[in-house]
Amino acid sequence: MLAASSVEIRKVNKYYGDFQALKDIDLSILPGKVTCLIGPSGSGKSTLLRCINFLEEYDSGEVRIDGQLIGYDAPGKRMPGRKLREMRRSIGMVFQQFNLWPHMTARENVAEGLIRVRGMSKSEAERRAAEALAKVGLADKMANHPSRLSGGQQQRVAIARAIAMEPKLMLFDEPTSALDPELVGEVLNVMKTLAGEGMTMVVVTHEMGFAAHVADQVVFMEKGELVGVDSPDRILHHPEDARIQSFLRTYHERNSF
Amino acid sequence: MEWSILQQYGPSLLKGFGNTVLCWALGTVFGMALGLVIALIQRYAPRWVTWIVQAYIEVIRGTPFLVQLFVLYYGGPLVGLRLDALPAGLLGLTIYGSPYFAEIFRSGFRAVPLGQIEAARAIGMSELNIVRRILLPLGLVSALPALVNFSIILTKETVILSIITVPELLYQVQRMSAETFRYLEANLVLALFFWGLVEAISRVGHRMEARITKHLIERT
Amino acid sequence: MFSFAVFLESFWPLFWAARYTLLISVLGIGLGLVIGTLICAARLSPYPPLRRFAAIWVSFLRGVPLLVQLLVFYYTLPVIGLDVPPMVAAVVTVGICASAYISEIWRGAIAALPKGQTEAAVAIGMNPRDVWTRVILPQAVTLSLPALINELILLVKASSLVSVVGILELTRASQAQAATTFRPLEVYIAAACIYLLINLCLAALGRYLEHRTAA
Repeated sequence: MLAASSVEIRKVNKYYGDFQALKDIDLSILPGKVTCLIGPSGSGKSTLLRCINFLEEYDSGEVRIDGQLIGYDAPGKRMPGRKLREMRRSIGMVFQQFNLWPHMTARENVAEGLIRVRGMSKSEAERRAAEALAKVGLADKMANHPSRLSGGQQQRVAIARAIAMEPKLMLFDEPTSALDPELVGEVLNVMKTLAGEGMTMVVVTHEMGFAAHVADQVVFMEKGELVGVDSPDRILHHPEDARIQSFLRTYHERNSF
Repeated sequence: MEWSILQQYGPSLLKGFGNTVLCWALGTVFGMALGLVIALIQRYAPRWVTWIVQAYIEVIRGTPFLVQLFVLYYGGPLVGLRLDALPAGLLGLTIYGSPYFAEIFRSGFRAVPLGQIEAARAIGMSELNIVRRILLPLGLVSALPALVNFSIILTKETVILSIITVPELLYQVQRMSAETFRYLEANLVLALFFWGLVEAISRVGHRMEARITKHLIERT
Repeated sequence: MFSFAVFLESFWPLFWAARYTLLISVLGIGLGLVIGTLICAARLSPYPPLRRFAAIWVSFLRGVPLLVQLLVFYYTLPVIGLDVPPMVAAVVTVGICASAYISEIWRGAIAALPKGQTEAAVAIGMNPRDVWTRVILPQAVTLSLPALINELILLVKASSLVSVVGILELTRASQAQAATTFRPLEVYIAAACIYLLINLCLAALGRYLEHRTAA
């Protein structure tokens, strides 16, 4: 069993100029649980996810990882870069566009963080990288550059890069949205395995099937607001809020073709 | 041109060519280094520093190389900067090239997708490591074609150094033609020589580019 | 030390001499546009000899330093018995040199147009001439405006080199001024300021045009 983090989000607001991207968000994410963020595009779900590791700076409110405030030492006072990096080490992130480093092989991509951030020796880092890649089923692709991998394989390397750092929390920002439909399954399977091991996961996704089967709680957002937080069954199958009903109706209509 | 003339002036022409290569090579290396520093300053320094650097870029890019050399070589001594022609030419070439190199690096850095830098931030890499391991290698590769092109442009600029009496190739050719009265032939041969040189360098440069970027190109 | 009085004293006479710099640059780019367009047409023509000629033209003029071109041209004229004023010779050399770059600017702009546009025009039955005059050229001209302004800025700077063959433009005038005042620092800085002023104005014009065509 991995050590798993909890996340507490309290009254978080985020503005882009006049536009309010997040409005008073309150959300608790329990250790070892999987939370899926769903909602129409532009609803603020990616922004909220990115606030958790402070890639996106929130303007007010608090985001706490295991009780520790991220990004600020006190309200309004930014934390030093070194301390922020320290906290980010234990938060893994997987991006929609994979964001692998194209000048490094799959194994070098995974080893890079271990060497530069964890200060491991090159050989130790490469051994760990090989393990992580084997875990996502890519033992035979270690020497390939990203340009020689399919989208699904690239995303699995990106997941390996994150888990090799032994995070206690994993953030997924639409991990399958940039993939061809036939490659989605292999990535979701890796994520499912990870969830089964007790990793705390926060996943922004459009894959309602994944949310229904793997999530412990589903969060519905719209226009920067948190509309509903509940079990997958209650949000996805018996929604009470009209906005969720209409979103799901559109989703099912599109998928019925 | 007669054989005897070439025999007589061969050594000085060769020396001139040596100086041309020297000025070009050092001017390119120093200019690139200064340009890289400028590009990094513009990316990371506080706003007011980037303004000063921007003013420097505008001034150098807005004025002719020849006038810059005049200021440096003839004006310099009035403020205590006494340089021989060759070092003055080298310094001039470095200064002249730096803002162009800086712009090339800057757009190279901009071509690095933000996501790849965010991925490094997300695993907790320090800014210094991000620059060293992600920004520089990727930015340099995408800047490579423009770097090669501008280095080729600089080979041509070296002839301007002859005007402030740097003993490079054109200077020697001028001296030779003044003594032999073979102005047209000498300059024509020089033109053909430069044509060949620039063509050759650009072929080699572009082949290098193709090799370095090979693994970055998506196979379809 | 730097004397501001000397600087000011040399500024206005030099400013006046800069009219030749402008004249050479503007006439040079005009000539360059004419020749460059022809060269570009030759480069894109279906006749291999024409294409080869244009390619050699461009490669030679871009490969040889302008200063060397100037000297070759300067020394060629008397040999072939042409007695033209030095000013004309300077403009012609600068214009010929610019033609190579302008031809490449046109070619780049034309290549940048999405191929689908030509295909769409052909698909509705336009003849080749209309495809060029109605679809390709109007867009290519707009696309290449900033690059052409940039070329003009380059010519303003490059025109300083014609001082070498004795034409009294800004740089030559400042050399004369420096020789009589013995204050090269102030004089050359004044000259640099004038070049900078001209080029900043041209750059502003370029941004204006780019902005207007983008809107």
